[in-house]
Amino acid sequence: MTAGLAVRTAERPVSRRKAWSALWLSLGGLYFFLPLLATFLFSLRGKKGVLSFVAYAHVFRDPQFLKTFTFSLEMAVATIVAGLALMIPTALWVNLRLPRVRPVIEVFALMPFVIPPIVLVFGLIRMYSQPPFALVTSPVLLVAGYVVLSFPYIFRAVDAGLRAIDLKVLTEASQSLGARWGTTLFRVVLPNIRAALLSAAFLTFSIVVGELTLAVMLAWPAFGPYMALVGRDLAYEPAALAVISFLLTWGSLLVIQLASRGFREQGPTAGGVH
Amino acid sequence: MPVSSVRVGEGARGARFPFPFLKGKNAADAGPGSGLVRRWIGVVPFFLFALAFMVLPAATLLVGSFQDGHGHFTLVNLAHLARPGILRSYLLTVEVSLVTALLGGLFGFLLAWAVTLGGMPRGVRGFLVTFSGVASNFAGVPLAFAFIATLGRVGLITVLLKSIFGISLYDHGFNLYSFWGLSFTYLYFQLPLMVLIITPALDGMKREWREASENLGARGTRYWREVALPILLPSLLSSVVLLFGNAFGAYATAYALTGGFINLIPIQIGAQIRGDVLHDPNLGYALALGMVIIMTLTILGYAALQRRASRFTKP
Amino acid sequence: MKKLSIAILCAALLAGSALVATAAPALLMQAPANFNDLVKAAQKEGQLTVIALPHDWVNYGEAIETFAKKYGIKINELNPDGGSGDEIEAIKANKGNKGPQAPDVIDVGLSFGPDAKAAGLLSPYKVKTWNTIPDAVKDAQGYWYGDYYGALAFEVNLDMVKTPPLDWADLLQPAFKGQVALAGDPRTANQAIMAIGAAALGNGGSFDNPKAGLDFFDKLNKAGNFVPLIAVPGTVDSGETPITMRWDYNALSNRDKTDGNPNIGVIIPASGVVAGVYVQAISAYAPHPNAARLWMEFLYSDEGQIIWLKGYGHPVRYADLAARGVIPADVASKMPPAAAYTKAVFPTLDQQATLKKFIADNWDSTVNVNVVAKQ
Repeated sequence: MTAGLAVRTAERPVSRRKAWSALWLSLGGLYFFLPLLATFLFSLRGKKGVLSFVAYAHVFRDPQFLKTFTFSLEMAVATIVAGLALMIPTALWVNLRLPRVRPVIEVFALMPFVIPPIVLVFGLIRMYSQPPFALVTSPVLLVAGYVVLSFPYIFRAVDAGLRAIDLKVLTEASQSLGARWGTTLFRVVLPNIRAALLSAAFLTFSIVVGELTLAVMLAWPAFGPYMALVGRDLAYEPAALAVISFLLTWGSLLVIQLASRGFREQGPTAGGVH
Repeated sequence: MPVSSVRVGEGARGARFPFPFLKGKNAADAGPGSGLVRRWIGVVPFFLFALAFMVLPAATLLVGSFQDGHGHFTLVNLAHLARPGILRSYLLTVEVSLVTALLGGLFGFLLAWAVTLGGMPRGVRGFLVTFSGVASNFAGVPLAFAFIATLGRVGLITVLLKSIFGISLYDHGFNLYSFWGLSFTYLYFQLPLMVLIITPALDGMKREWREASENLGARGTRYWREVALPILLPSLLSSVVLLFGNAFGAYATAYALTGGFINLIPIQIGAQIRGDVLHDPNLGYALALGMVIIMTLTILGYAALQRRASRFTKP
Repeated sequence: MKKLSIAILCAALLAGSALVATAAPALLMQAPANFNDLVKAAQKEGQLTVIALPHDWVNYGEAIETFAKKYGIKINELNPDGGSGDEIEAIKANKGNKGPQAPDVIDVGLSFGPDAKAAGLLSPYKVKTWNTIPDAVKDAQGYWYGDYYGALAFEVNLDMVKTPPLDWADLLQPAFKGQVALAGDPRTANQAIMAIGAAALGNGGSFDNPKAGLDFFDKLNKAGNFVPLIAVPGTVDSGETPITMRWDYNALSNRDKTDGNPNIGVIIPASGVVAGVYVQAISAYAPHPNAARLWMEFLYSDEGQIIWLKGYGHPVRYADLAARGVIPADVASKMPPAAAYTKAVFPTLDQQATLKKFIADNWDSTVNVNVVAKQ
């Protein structure tokens, strides 16, 4: 009798729960989808009276678009390479040899949050604008800044990947087969954390390509400042750029999703610099 | 393959690490000094980098905030922080961050709940999580453009409301380039962040707890009030705190939306870097110091709450 | 006072065209005396950093591209949205910085020149064509020198605003609710400052008594017609700020650029017509001083001056160019008719200084819009 009662009372909440869920999801969907639709429609207004893609054509034909996008792409690649080169040994050491250092690394990984980009760039300019460390003229400083922004994500991704793969066993097995450290690293460990590496790479790409604060304060011709400039000069092209930017981010995240399929640990995908 | 490096039959105890410089005290050929070096060398580049490009630059700012134009120690910059214009700026930034953290926290939680415990089909969850990843990474500049195209004076929604319902948003006092407009825009990356953070916590809510409490007579709201929320509270609070910090440091969105015409602290710092009309770089450093203090408090709060929450979060 | 200013400028322009460059340019400070050496020195520096030069502002886009291609010098462009005050502050903020964040050259409103010179921020230089620049618009020692001028006009998005305003009083009409914006921050941007001065003129005030201008904007704000956004071409075109006050050369370039989508109207107001001169200067802390001097030589060459003319700005050497017959006919025909400039007032340095100070002191308290308030 009690069991029957329990079943019946459990049924009502479930359907009510589903109704509420559907409501929140619909509202959420509306909030997320409408701006994208509005932006897309606005971007089609490049030609009077008709819907056309002329704003997109205008953007793609602009030599500055390619120039700044290429520049940001190069910065992203440099950041990914530098970031991985920095964080892979760190993650390896933390996992294999110095587990007690992990909390220290975690604290460091929180610092880019405590020092937001606008403060970071202020400090970088103050510290590196005069000899002997006059780095402000070099893109190295921009890449260094980007590495600071993205290394928490890179570390967490690589670390999660290493933790998921039984690192100790793998390395010992590799060594007992006579492999030297280089072979073990590049032919055993890294291939097994491919998904994590891809995840780190595309997340960094996402962060760097649209970034504004560091690029504009350090005066580099990057994609973020270019978009801001277009927003100043033109009416419909900014909307087109927003759509392009969104599709790029979506594409990057999809690549991460696909790469992570089948792997237990998926690196963090939250974040971004605003 | 060098034969000498093969030690057949040696198990975990005597196994030589494939990374020779990772050897510890047991290494046959390592003296005490070189062992220490080898133990730490992998993390040294990172620490050096973090020092050179994160810690020290921040430190020079903080030191500069206690100096005057000639490098002498002074507290006058901190005193200037109490100027009404600056205080208003901090207040405004705190308000925007608080509002977007609470609203983003609430609605993000509701969305995450809908796809975890709310009985929605599995595919919806996957889509929401992916989309949240995208939206939380949406750069500030295109995000501002998107909202201008939606709710600006000639935005899609503004025009639609006028032409279909005859409601003129801007005549009724709405303004995208204001506190509420900016907050509404910020939600676009706050909400997804909340979804991504809180979903693991919701996954950790075991069905058995709900069934047990229902068997004991506590249904619906009572279950939420006395079982679920107390368990979730640390996670919820820590996430809201994180959202607060996320909004507080935001620059690009505010800049692209208002052209730098809004009185937020990140915008003020940006103006100081470029050379504000009331040029005083040391004041800029003091502004940055204030910001770092607030962010540190935020992160400490987050860490403390996270520790409490980790008991119930699914690993 | 008005007529005197116009008279002085016209006389100066006419006189300039009659001058022969006989005076030896012995005051070229520390620069290579030989032009070719200057080019080589500039190319060795390899870069030039400019600030607050939007590409559609009197055709700076073409000037920048032409210069970069001609001499192979890379140009860093800072803060295109910046106003004159921002440019001055950027020099101050980057005194010790030899990186690309420090501007080499600035282009600021007339009244900002002497201020910057007094603050020791400028380095003097006299271009080859120095003697064809009217005396009234240059510093005798070469610290700053006029470059181009135009008149303030209403720039109107005609697709959104069916009946455009023709005078200052029209702007207060309820039809223009939420549509009128300034094209800069009035505390730092010359364009915005002069707009307020023009509003003063059009409302019974004067440059010596600019209160009428601030009161006008206060009325505009209270009527709900004023939009607290900085108007830029993008916002005019999209309709966010369909009515603004900008220099005629800027408004005309925008009209050309939009090519009908939307239709842009450029209307010189019936009363309160203000003309303004901008001045060039080299930063005393320029990381690339030779590139800066070469840039000046380029801008003040016939080629450079005609590029500005193509952007609808009247270059300072206009009279000289016209007298020597080097202005292409098609460019000359596109310029606004001279009739529009007969009523224009060229405020003197002192008048502009008074205006600037008055606005900086009183804008926030009279027209409280900068702090974007909670709704």
